[in-house]
Amino acid sequence: MTVTDPQLAPPPQTRPAIAARAVDVVKTYGRGEAAVRALDSASVAIPAGEFTAVMGPSGSGKSTLIHALAGLDGIDAGQVFIGDTDLTTLAERDRTLLRRERLGFVFQAFNLIPALTAAENIALPLTLAGKRPDPAWMNELVHMLGLANRLDHRPGQLSGGQQQRVAVGRALIARPELVFADEPTGNLDSRSGAALLAFLRDAARTYGQTIVMVTHDPVAAAYADRVVFLADGRIVDELTDPTAETVLARLAGLDATRLDEPVGA
Amino acid sequence: MWRLSLSNALAHRSRLALTWLAVALGVAFVAGSLVLTDTSTRLLDEQFRTTAAGVDLTVRGAAAFDAAMGVEVARDPLPADLAERVAGTAGVDRVRPVASGPGQLQVRGTAVEPAGPTILGTWAEAPFTAYTLRAGHAPHGEEVVLDAATAADHGIAVGDTVTVSATASRPLRVVGLTGIGDGDGLTNSTVVLVDLPTAQTLLDLGSGVTAVDVIAADGVAVPDLRADLAAALGAQYAVTGGQDAAAASADAAKESINYLRIVLLALAAAGLVVGAFLIANTFGIVLTHRARELALLRAAGATGRQVLGLVLGEALLVGLTGAAGGTAVGVGAAYALRGFASSAGLALPDGPLTVTVRTLVVGLVAGTLITLLAALGPARRAARTAPVEAMRVSDPAPAGPRRGRLITGWILLGLGVVQLGTAALLRQIVGVGLGAVLLLAALVVLGPVLAPRLAQAVGRPLTGLGVPGQLARESIVRNPRRTAATAMALALGLALISFVAVLGSSVKAIGASSTEAITADLLVQSSRDEMLGGLSPEVAARVAALPEVAATSSVRFGHWLDGDMTSALTAVDPATLPQVADVQMTGGALAALDGGGVVLAADVAAERGLTVGDTLAMTFSRDGEQRLRVVGLMADDSARALSTSYVLSLGTYAQHFSENVDATVYVALADGVGPAAARTALRAAVADFPNAEVLDQAEAAAGRAAAVGQVLGLITVLLGFAVLIALLGITNTLALSIVERTREIGLLRAVGMTRAQLSWMVRAEAVLIAAVAVVTGVALGLGLAAATLAGLSADNALVIEVPVGQLLAVVATAVLAGLVAGLLPARRAARLDVLTAIATQ
Repeated sequence: MTVTDPQLAPPPQTRPAIAARAVDVVKTYGRGEAAVRALDSASVAIPAGEFTAVMGPSGSGKSTLIHALAGLDGIDAGQVFIGDTDLTTLAERDRTLLRRERLGFVFQAFNLIPALTAAENIALPLTLAGKRPDPAWMNELVHMLGLANRLDHRPGQLSGGQQQRVAVGRALIARPELVFADEPTGNLDSRSGAALLAFLRDAARTYGQTIVMVTHDPVAAAYADRVVFLADGRIVDELTDPTAETVLARLAGLDATRLDEPVGA
Repeated sequence: MWRLSLSNALAHRSRLALTWLAVALGVAFVAGSLVLTDTSTRLLDEQFRTTAAGVDLTVRGAAAFDAAMGVEVARDPLPADLAERVAGTAGVDRVRPVASGPGQLQVRGTAVEPAGPTILGTWAEAPFTAYTLRAGHAPHGEEVVLDAATAADHGIAVGDTVTVSATASRPLRVVGLTGIGDGDGLTNSTVVLVDLPTAQTLLDLGSGVTAVDVIAADGVAVPDLRADLAAALGAQYAVTGGQDAAAASADAAKESINYLRIVLLALAAAGLVVGAFLIANTFGIVLTHRARELALLRAAGATGRQVLGLVLGEALLVGLTGAAGGTAVGVGAAYALRGFASSAGLALPDGPLTVTVRTLVVGLVAGTLITLLAALGPARRAARTAPVEAMRVSDPAPAGPRRGRLITGWILLGLGVVQLGTAALLRQIVGVGLGAVLLLAALVVLGPVLAPRLAQAVGRPLTGLGVPGQLARESIVRNPRRTAATAMALALGLALISFVAVLGSSVKAIGASSTEAITADLLVQSSRDEMLGGLSPEVAARVAALPEVAATSSVRFGHWLDGDMTSALTAVDPATLPQVADVQMTGGALAALDGGGVVLAADVAAERGLTVGDTLAMTFSRDGEQRLRVVGLMADDSARALSTSYVLSLGTYAQHFSENVDATVYVALADGVGPAAARTALRAAVADFPNAEVLDQAEAAAGRAAAVGQVLGLITVLLGFAVLIALLGITNTLALSIVERTREIGLLRAVGMTRAQLSWMVRAEAVLIAAVAVVTGVALGLGLAAATLAGLSADNALVIEVPVGQLLAVVATAVLAGLVAGLLPARRAARLDVLTAIATQ
């Protein structure tokens, strides 16, 4: 499906070239001996209009980084910007409102409110703000996601792939500046996963939607425009126009460097 | 398994804490009620035994029954020579003639009004009594001895002059103060002791006495002497053991405590039942949380029976410890209950508390049993957990009600409604009780079906209030069993409160409507319950003699046995009654009472199948069963005006009753006399009768309503306790459901639900549960009250008065309380960390 009405597409020219930035972010969990430094002076810039994948071994701080960028979690030092807004200066309520108005989310599982229909789940960020979705945009989204005849169903009546597509619809409905996807295909079979990833890539290309996705799967990362590699709480590498093979090669290299490090460093 | 139970209960202690509290509170109420009533009973027993110490046998007039409605019957006076006849019987060592009865005491112009009776008695020296002079000397002639406690309370000293009245009234000088046994006096009573001639004068006995106390000679067996005396004196006189007579007196006094015990235990049971809902709910929710863990146990080889044992073991721990805590607290609760009771005008003897083994056992067993029973349902569901559920990824949807439950529920509901309606129409109170039980059972069974539908209807306005409102309603509808249990607990409490409110206002309305048939301008009434001392006939005589008064008519009341049931009757003067009351006859004539017989309320006559000319068997304490001819039928309104459905003439009354006091004297004023002036004249005329109160109709009705209100107020306060437990249930259920919905809440927060919106949602859930409970509870309460009033009005016309204002207050309070109950869970939900909530583990 292609865009026929240019007005439906978000106007990318009004956006800054960088959609989100993390500057020297430090985040530590626990205290004393048990302290774990999940982010250790991590800095990253998310270009607007692109599909960025964040990769790294388990415990590298992928999820922590995305949570910090989305304002879901506080940080110990550094700064986080969404557009020009410094999240670290915002009160909890303002961060909530920012999430509602400017960000979208897709999680690995438990993405939907069981009591609401698919249509209601998609519209949720807007209805929480007391607004109604734009009918034309809603219509286009549900057709693109193949959910047109599933709108009255509750999450319990949808397949896993359908549920995740509803979650993507919800993430996009408010035309956010940035969509965060945390392992969105983690619970899907490979066919449903491929369809979802293709849809995310199309959203970035067709509408200039900025998307940041955390994944541990090189095949999934290959759908992105760019891959950022994390290790031990820092950005260690970057790759543009990735393929599954190039991503896998970089990852292997990362693991090798980690194994070279002296124990206890 | 037992060790697993223990560690599980400890691990879930925060979730089980409110359950524990509910058990403990319910048991505390039970134990408190038992301790309080045991204590009161023991104290009364001790007092009455003390007063009879030293007396072997007591001779009194024979009576068909000893006491009715908590009051000992009056007996005929004994002739003066009886004491000599008794003394002359072989085996008797000593005798003492006694004159005693209800009296009144006035100090410096003010009546001394203890909560119980003022006992006018005859002074006696040892070995006959337990009186022990604390100061002064024994009374002779115009002298009196008072109990030390009363003297202390009212600042009376030896040498003061007080007024003592019974039928007659005398100023007497206080010459001594006495203790009774070890105590300073009798609880709630005033004891006034004079010598025999003075007592006979005050009680207007002439040379007669009320009893002869007997001490057996050494070496004579008391039972033998009792038989000898009974044979020698004849059936006209009753010979009882001194302690037996005391026990009978104590039993009469204890009757009100027995009523109190029943009421308190019923209310405590309500609290426990409400608690049972909470317990069942908590176990249900906690076990759902643990479904995977239990399935893992099953997969590892635990049998369903072992899982059942595991869960019941946890319940046993909670129940046992909760009941133990509650029993301990209950002893303290007894003090609080005594305070509540006395503030509602129910005086109970003051003294050290009695904690019996029975109280401990009942408390422990009740608490443990109710917890086990309540946990049985959830435990059986848990035992059915299939091992494969351990592998399930998503949480199972709550199970819908099963078909069997639906069928049982609807059948029970149908039976309950039909039974209740039929019993109400047939005016059978027992049938109404059965219907109520069926109805409640139906509601428990059908709750999971009805509650969600009701929630959907009641919660309709919420959907207009955005996503939080919509979600609040959905989550209440989504968990039928949980919603039903939580709402039913509160509904039960509210039903009882509305029931009591409707009953109370209807009883008041009956009281108010009774004044309509009375045309008297003023009435003179005993300020005490007439059973604790009515008006001397002298009062009526003095009032009648006043120039301001056109006519007076006296009314008396008496008890009689109607088969096994104690019933009341009214005695009137058929000649003067029409001048102060407008009695509507539907058959026969009021004047016909002059020739003996009885006038019945029309509906009672219809129910008994009696009409004018038939006879009615009535058993009187003084002369046993008598057959009275029905000489007239009166309208139901008139019967209410006269307080009972059975009316005799004063002349007939005098044949069957020994009492010679009026309950009320109705007064019609002469033309042109203002009520204010008349009151002044009446008050002056009866000034030396401390218990005579001059009132108009409105004041008399207000007095009756206030007494009803006080008792109902006490019951309502105690029911508030059950409601409190139910509110704990709302808090508990919501707090647990917040834990359960952690992920959902995290998601909502992530996509932009503010903390304010979230806590609004949780509070809306609490209010919605409360609203469902309010609708169910008030409807149930109204229905049951209507049926009960119908069932109770067998003797009178049906009056139902719905106290709209009061019920609205109940509704508003309950909804507000629901809001308060939701505060804690709402806070907890709002504080939930977004990240922990969405973490996928």
